Amino acid sequence: MNWRIRLTRWDFALMAVTAVGVGLAVVRYAAGIGSVANINNAYPWGWWVGYGIMMMIALGGVGFTITGLVEVLGVHRYHSLLRPAVLMGLLCYSGAIVMLMVELGRPWMVWMILVSWAPTAALYEVGWCAFLYLNVLLFEFAMVPLEQLGWGRLVRVMRVVYMPLMLLGVTLSHLHQSSLGTLMTLIPHKVNVLWWSDLLPLLFLFSAIMVGPALAILEYLCAARWLGFEPRMDMIASLARIEAWLVGLFLIFQLGDLVARGAVDAMLSGTWFALSFWAEIGFGLALPLVLLMMPEVRQSRRALAVACGLVIAGVLLHRLNVTVIGLRVRHWETYVPSLGEIGITIGITAGAMFVFGVLARILPIHEELASTPVSERRAAAPAGALRGAPGVS
Amino acid sequence: MTARSSAKSKAMIQDNTRCIGCRACMVACKSWNDRPADHTDFFAGPGYQNPRDLDANNYTLITFNEIVTGARPDWVFGRQLCMHCEQPACASACPTTALRKTELGPVVFDKNRCIGCRACMQACPFLIPKYDYENRAPLIHKCTFCADRIEAGLKPACATVCPTSAISFGDRDDMIAEAKRRIATAPGTYIPHIYGLDEVGGTSVLHLSSVPFEQIGYVTGLPNTPMPDLTHRWLRVTPHFFALLYAVFAALTWITHRRSHKQVDGDQGKTA
Repeated sequence: MNWRIRLTRWDFALMAVTAVGVGLAVVRYAAGIGSVANINNAYPWGWWVGYGIMMMIALGGVGFTITGLVEVLGVHRYHSLLRPAVLMGLLCYSGAIVMLMVELGRPWMVWMILVSWAPTAALYEVGWCAFLYLNVLLFEFAMVPLEQLGWGRLVRVMRVVYMPLMLLGVTLSHLHQSSLGTLMTLIPHKVNVLWWSDLLPLLFLFSAIMVGPALAILEYLCAARWLGFEPRMDMIASLARIEAWLVGLFLIFQLGDLVARGAVDAMLSGTWFALSFWAEIGFGLALPLVLLMMPEVRQSRRALAVACGLVIAGVLLHRLNVTVIGLRVRHWETYVPSLGEIGITIGITAGAMFVFGVLARILPIHEELASTPVSERRAAAPAGALRGAPGVS
Repeated sequence: MTARSSAKSKAMIQDNTRCIGCRACMVACKSWNDRPADHTDFFAGPGYQNPRDLDANNYTLITFNEIVTGARPDWVFGRQLCMHCEQPACASACPTTALRKTELGPVVFDKNRCIGCRACMQACPFLIPKYDYENRAPLIHKCTFCADRIEAGLKPACATVCPTSAISFGDRDDMIAEAKRRIATAPGTYIPHIYGLDEVGGTSVLHLSSVPFEQIGYVTGLPNTPMPDLTHRWLRVTPHFFALLYAVFAALTWITHRRSHKQVDGDQGKTA
């Protein structure tokens, strides 16, 4: 464990942005949601749910995507992405919880979900699954600092139950990522025909799986640059190939669903909805697909980062289109997020990035930075190291 | 979560053809539910009612709609209030069962269970539940069908005060028969549609009108199937999916790890 890290100006910038978010949150608690937010009776969710919950959870999908790839499908080539992915997942879910504490009208009552029985409510399922999965992520990640702190015996015990819990995490993720889509299937009268689909649960699950590798690649490239290690481009390029397949399949899925539902007319109409849809399809799927299919792009750090950034932005726009932009209630009712709403979500995001940056320097998160060779580290790596873990195989 | 209408189930007819726009129902509603008065402003259409829309202080609203009937424009009134669906979307969306359909018909709100997620507001096809965003401990607000009064054998406050019998209250079966009888006996007065008989699987409030409902501010084009069906078909398979996925992932993990162990053993054999 390396406590002697030096905070850079980027750290201070992130802390400053977080502080602004905290200040706005204080106003929200002191004077009510209406004092900082534009959400209203017609648009009760808005940006907080669209970005702060829907997008945060989608990004948190990087945890189960990479865990599934490495541990379930056994593609150990991507092992060095596992710890960053689990940490990002943990921070995204924590961020979503913080968002929830701001966004809920009565956050002190949130425990009520855990003592209720409401199997008809998608939010009930999301609440339970996300709560359990957050604990799984915490468990998975906790092994890293615990081992560093010299709690080796505890870590050995944890490794025994790692396998069933890891599988539980991957399973729970499939359930609640899709349930976020189920949540929106209830309101066909509000969501524009371009986005409302019977298959929203599957579209949301698929987009969460699609955004996982994109975020993992982007993080890896950023870490290589800012933490100063040589990225293994062969490994990253092969993951980018998988990502190209995911983006292509999602594009086919989304457009196929649209055609099957007979919503092509809406796609070709000259409305703002159609524009937002084309932006999503064009910049979020088609463009990154073309980029990712080019071997030059997959070998270029910068181009690959851009392509993955586009995929992430596309998923963000998709979530916003389904939950905010694509919603119309009555024509005289409008919603545009306030600076206060956006400020709080940016504060949460900045806070999560700050914590990630600090932990990435204190703890052995990236194998490339470890002094020991990668193969030996793998045997000792607790988060997801099954080989060599006593009692697991 | 939701009790479907039983034989005891009550309903209300809102006969807009009998409404004179006196808004006594709004006043009675406010006073029974202890809602404060509002300062309101004039706004530019559609409708000229006051206030413009339901909110946390107004659980029911008479809408004033200027409609050309025959040769000249005329006021046609409509009414907004919770429809008390037979299978309410709001209750099905509530993660803490703070909203539930009671046997007598009302969809009631338990403020002690509410976490303020506003899923009910998002879910309601009639756009009824409202929120007091300015409050530090906000609550969902909507018509209660005067559940406490009905429980005690009384009529809802609005039905009690209506001077023109535009609001009728009774057993749901009787109310449906009565609404059908009115349309059949005066086909010139009513359009042949009971709003709430079939909408979203039926509701406990039935509206009658002289003009098409979309002209007087009603949400139209709703399906005749209950809204919760939309999510139910996904959510009911969740436990099965959970078991299935867990088993599949466990099997996959077992296969891939056995293979990689073999590989590792093989590699070690080669190097040794």
